[in-house]
Amino acid sequence: MPLPISEFGGKGRTLRGDAWRRLCKNKLALVALGWIIFVIVIAVSADLWVPRVLGNPIEIDTTTVAQMSLNAPSSAHPFGTDFAGRDIASRVIYGARVSLMVGVVAVAIMVLLGLIAGAFAAYYGGWWDAIIMRTADIFFAFPYILFAIVLLALLGNGIQNVFIAIGILGWPSIARVFRGSVLFVKENEYVDAARAMGASTPRIVFRHIMPNAIAPIIVYATMSVGGAILTEAALSFLGMGVQLPKPSWGGMLSEAQTYMTSAPWLMLYPGLAILTTVLAFVLLGDGLRDALDVKMKG
Amino acid sequence: MAPLLEVDDLHVHFFTRDGVVKAVDGVSFTLEPGRTLGMVGESGSGKSVTALSIMRLIPEPPGKVVSGDIRFKGRSVLQMSEKEQRDMRGNRIAMIFQDPMTSLNPVYRIGKQIGEPLRLHKNMTGKESVAAAAELLGRVGIPRPKERVRDYPHEFSGGMRQRAMIAMALACGPDILIADEPTTALDVTIQAQILELMQEIQARTESAIMMITHDLGVVADMADNVLVMYAGKAVEYGPADEVFYRPLHPYAWGLLESLPRHDVDDKGKLCPIKGQPPSLINLPSGCSFSPRCAYAQDICRSQAPPLAEIDPGHSSACHFSADKQFIAQSPRCAMEGR
Repeated sequence: MPLPISEFGGKGRTLRGDAWRRLCKNKLALVALGWIIFVIVIAVSADLWVPRVLGNPIEIDTTTVAQMSLNAPSSAHPFGTDFAGRDIASRVIYGARVSLMVGVVAVAIMVLLGLIAGAFAAYYGGWWDAIIMRTADIFFAFPYILFAIVLLALLGNGIQNVFIAIGILGWPSIARVFRGSVLFVKENEYVDAARAMGASTPRIVFRHIMPNAIAPIIVYATMSVGGAILTEAALSFLGMGVQLPKPSWGGMLSEAQTYMTSAPWLMLYPGLAILTTVLAFVLLGDGLRDALDVKMKG
Repeated sequence: MAPLLEVDDLHVHFFTRDGVVKAVDGVSFTLEPGRTLGMVGESGSGKSVTALSIMRLIPEPPGKVVSGDIRFKGRSVLQMSEKEQRDMRGNRIAMIFQDPMTSLNPVYRIGKQIGEPLRLHKNMTGKESVAAAAELLGRVGIPRPKERVRDYPHEFSGGMRQRAMIAMALACGPDILIADEPTTALDVTIQAQILELMQEIQARTESAIMMITHDLGVVADMADNVLVMYAGKAVEYGPADEVFYRPLHPYAWGLLESLPRHDVDDKGKLCPIKGQPPSLINLPSGCSFSPRCAYAQDICRSQAPPLAEIDPGHSSACHFSADKQFIAQSPRCAMEGR
């Protein structure tokens, strides 16, 4: 039976549906999305099976440490073991939890700050705009990783402070992209129409401007997750993020330095985990940009 | 009883870096229920700014109503609080914009959008407002309205979107409908349908319409009164028939002359008004129209003529409007006499 069709194309075509269809045509982005989902599932379910199947990621079994130290990959330990006899696969999986958490929480902080700042700058303009955007410029002028190190030195090491540092450092880019986007959307006649209809300023900003200006932020935030994971890895590598012996990809790389030639798998797997996960977020962001049809500006 | 809307010697200036733009520089008119006022003039003559001032939608700064008053049912809208203004907008005075392609928000379904003023002003729930939107869509002539409320704006054609905009403006049963060039962006055939729809609605609801346009054909069709604007000033104001058949101001003559005519069988060229409208920052001294006026005399370049009532209810801002012989030169009058 033929489906009822409206005069101008299929029923129920939504902007979101269109974007999803376009994303599905981009194979690379789909592979990236698949990889991200895979990593999330593995990381979230880790407590259920990893300690039993692969071994404890943190505790050192003192009775077996001598014979288990620095074993090459085998069927029992697919990624090999580290100097303390711990399973690398187990540590990489628990490291994924840290990385994903940093990705989500730090980016959430930076998006929240960036959206508020960008919306204020664009909507109120004038002094607001000048002060907010010049502050953003000052942030851009700092060397990123050094600034993060200084912030952590002030706040103290630890994962919560990594969230905060990345959030504080990341908001200016979000603010800048969102400001441009809001300025563009603000000129549309439906914004005037909403005002002429009697809508209040918050209603106009949140109901009429935000949904139309958010697409570039979705793209930018997705890509930023990759960036945040990289920053966390760098900070943990330097010993300022996640504290050993808790596993994190950056921390594992730091430990692996000593054994670079004798046990290269120590470095290989956390390195690959960082590479594939960051790449996946960037590719997904790229795919979203095409699907949402946003031109990156600012 | 006070008229529905009184605009009294309105001056709206924009304070820009380059100087003060006198966008509206002394405009007065009244609007009665069930009547239509046509505002005509070139781009930049202050028509839209006047309309936006009534809605209190002028961006401040840089804009400011520097003097004059706007009274809605006897109350000054300039003294209303932000909340009172919002209660008036979309509820008592509604506006239709020029470009239907961009005046609907692409992320919301048609029904939800048309229902928004009802949710804002009539405390309707989402469901009630969409049901009401379907009824409104039917009233403005969209077939199968109950299904079409579920569409997104990009699934509507230009004419349908303008109908949807009209439905949205009508939602709360406003006293005044301000239409800012409602047909400019539409095909000629659709233009006629939209105008017909507006007349039909007016006949049924007794709402007043303020029609802003640079299309004199639209004004001739719709308006009871006509206000001709030039460089921020009202240069001629009167009943539509009077302004069309006995125009008093040379600028109005020029506007009428520049229309293509079907009734005169010569293959002659159109006669546009020569030159450009003046900069609103540096207005010429005397009459603003004098640099482009074929009849300008010395007095025109030194003294600005006030808007004066020449015939009952028909006023003009020209030094010579009261001069019968001068008016006899009107090309339109000459044409009628032929």
